[in-house]
Amino acid sequence: MSLPDWLTNDRETAALAAMLSPDSSSSLEALAAESRAITLRRFGRTMTLYAPLYLSNYCSSGCVYCGFASDRKTVRHRLEPDETSRELAAMKKLGISDILLLTGERTAAADFDYLRRSVEIAAKTMQRVSVEAFPMSVAEYRALADCGCTGITIYQETYNRKRYEALHRWGPKKDFIDRLETPARALEGGIKNVGLGVLLGLSDPVEDALCLYRHLRHLGRTWWRAGMSISFPRMRPQTGGYEPPFPVDDHLLARMIFAFRIALPDTELVLSTRESAAYRDGMSSLGITRMSIESRTTVGGYHDTENKEQGQFEIFDDRTAKEFCLALRKKNIEPVFKNWEPAYNGPSKEQNSTTTNPSETKPCH
Amino acid sequence: MDLLQLGSYTFSSRLILGTGKFSSAAVMLQAVRASGAQLVTVALRRFNREQAEDDLFGPLSAIEGVTLMPNTSGASTAAEAVRAAHIARELSGSPFIKVEIHPNPQHLMPDPIETFEAARILAKEGFLVMPYITADPVLAKRLEEVGCAAVMPLGSAIGSGQGLASAAMIELIIRESSIPVIVDAGLRSPSEAAHAMEMGCEAVLVNSAVAVAGNPPEMAEAFAEAVAAGRKAFRAGLMQKSGSAIATSPLTSFLGANG
Repeated sequence: MSLPDWLTNDRETAALAAMLSPDSSSSLEALAAESRAITLRRFGRTMTLYAPLYLSNYCSSGCVYCGFASDRKTVRHRLEPDETSRELAAMKKLGISDILLLTGERTAAADFDYLRRSVEIAAKTMQRVSVEAFPMSVAEYRALADCGCTGITIYQETYNRKRYEALHRWGPKKDFIDRLETPARALEGGIKNVGLGVLLGLSDPVEDALCLYRHLRHLGRTWWRAGMSISFPRMRPQTGGYEPPFPVDDHLLARMIFAFRIALPDTELVLSTRESAAYRDGMSSLGITRMSIESRTTVGGYHDTENKEQGQFEIFDDRTAKEFCLALRKKNIEPVFKNWEPAYNGPSKEQNSTTTNPSETKPCH
Repeated sequence: MDLLQLGSYTFSSRLILGTGKFSSAAVMLQAVRASGAQLVTVALRRFNREQAEDDLFGPLSAIEGVTLMPNTSGASTAAEAVRAAHIARELSGSPFIKVEIHPNPQHLMPDPIETFEAARILAKEGFLVMPYITADPVLAKRLEEVGCAAVMPLGSAIGSGQGLASAAMIELIIRESSIPVIVDAGLRSPSEAAHAMEMGCEAVLVNSAVAVAGNPPEMAEAFAEAVAAGRKAFRAGLMQKSGSAIATSPLTSFLGANG
């Protein structure tokens, strides 16, 4: 299948391309000032916080760069329902109410039913549950939405098809077009928010950034109710020792964040604990509006804090929630743990219609 | 005394404050106090019963003389807003509900169809419904017909600071309305709030302009003064505006002297 027109059309991306160009006339400082002003106006002095929960590190794909790829000799493990509940309870104690559930690509050990059961468990205690797992069908997304899942994170990793096919050596993730179409399937299934991103370091970052922007705009036009966010994950050293061929330095990453904020004033921009404490603190008033905290990239890392397993990637900002909130407050930014209400969760069948008779409304679970 | 009347409730302050976007709950509370606001809106999604530090409802409900108006920000359909309104009433005990339904989380423009439907249901259930709408004079009348306590047209997009971009439509709404018209969203400066009041708005709602100001409590006070001045000017009756100087040889001189 050939690439869709919307992915290659550069009509909309001229302004973003100009800001990202290495010989751009806009200084980094000027971009930062504009980005800061927009962020303040639109999002105020707040930062929404979430935490990831790794459910399983089983994986069927052969992504060259990933610590959980199926040929790595990592110990494989998945959380059983009682362990998931225990992890959630430990997270709850840290104040966390907005979580992202993660798995590898679809396997028999961590399949759709396992994921759905995990979402059900999480939705009992958490205010907002999102999933970063494997591509699913519309019907599967609908079933997740009905269990209380409101968001899907699915990174294209790179929009360069040749690079993509070389990096994803085997497994279901090898299908570039299927992955590209996944966010639309999630939205069609009644998932309210999609998180997009590229894994910075895998391919030409500017080319990828422009495609990412086009992807988001394309989805926004088709699914006008969709909430959208963009993350900026940058390659870090991990199991397997993969060296990113297109390393993105601190300055280029900053330029990308500012340029996206200016180009998309209303879109949530996310920065994870892959980045250092100093970098995250610096970015917290300049464009980023959502951050992860207390990340453990090992399976079962919240309850068992002494867990010495290899995670998916190394955490750079390993401050506790308390320490991190203190740093935000010092910068005059309010950490926000709860910024959602399960009353807004669905049901998914009404998501894309204007049927509003509340007597027809049934609880999700 | 010149009071703002919403349902059976009366308020001497005509400034309504929003409570999001502040750098801390402490600063927000200082701003509420400095504004003299007696009606304050708070998003249900910022109620946090599990963690006091993250909760906006608890500290706000402790301020004396302030009535809370929960809002449904985050809802994208009427059904969701109705569910949220029920939860909010149970938690807060307030009869007020600010119906905010913006299905596109990017630009946050209110959905007129879903808003109308939610307002119709909630007004029938006895809520004091305060719908956030685009400045549409027909929608405003439709909302009045189904029993809303007020209509809240936007000056411009939430958080845009573009002021009264929809002034002409708001004037039409005020001219035709039998219920209070309250400008909500988009205001950047106290002078814009004064302008809205001079036009005949019964109140204004401000959030971002105060929350992201260099000194939020001081800005809240400035808005309160501007709102009071604008109201006073409206009541005093503004001088008629003239588009041009009056000609020395009037166009109607050919009619001769009157009578």
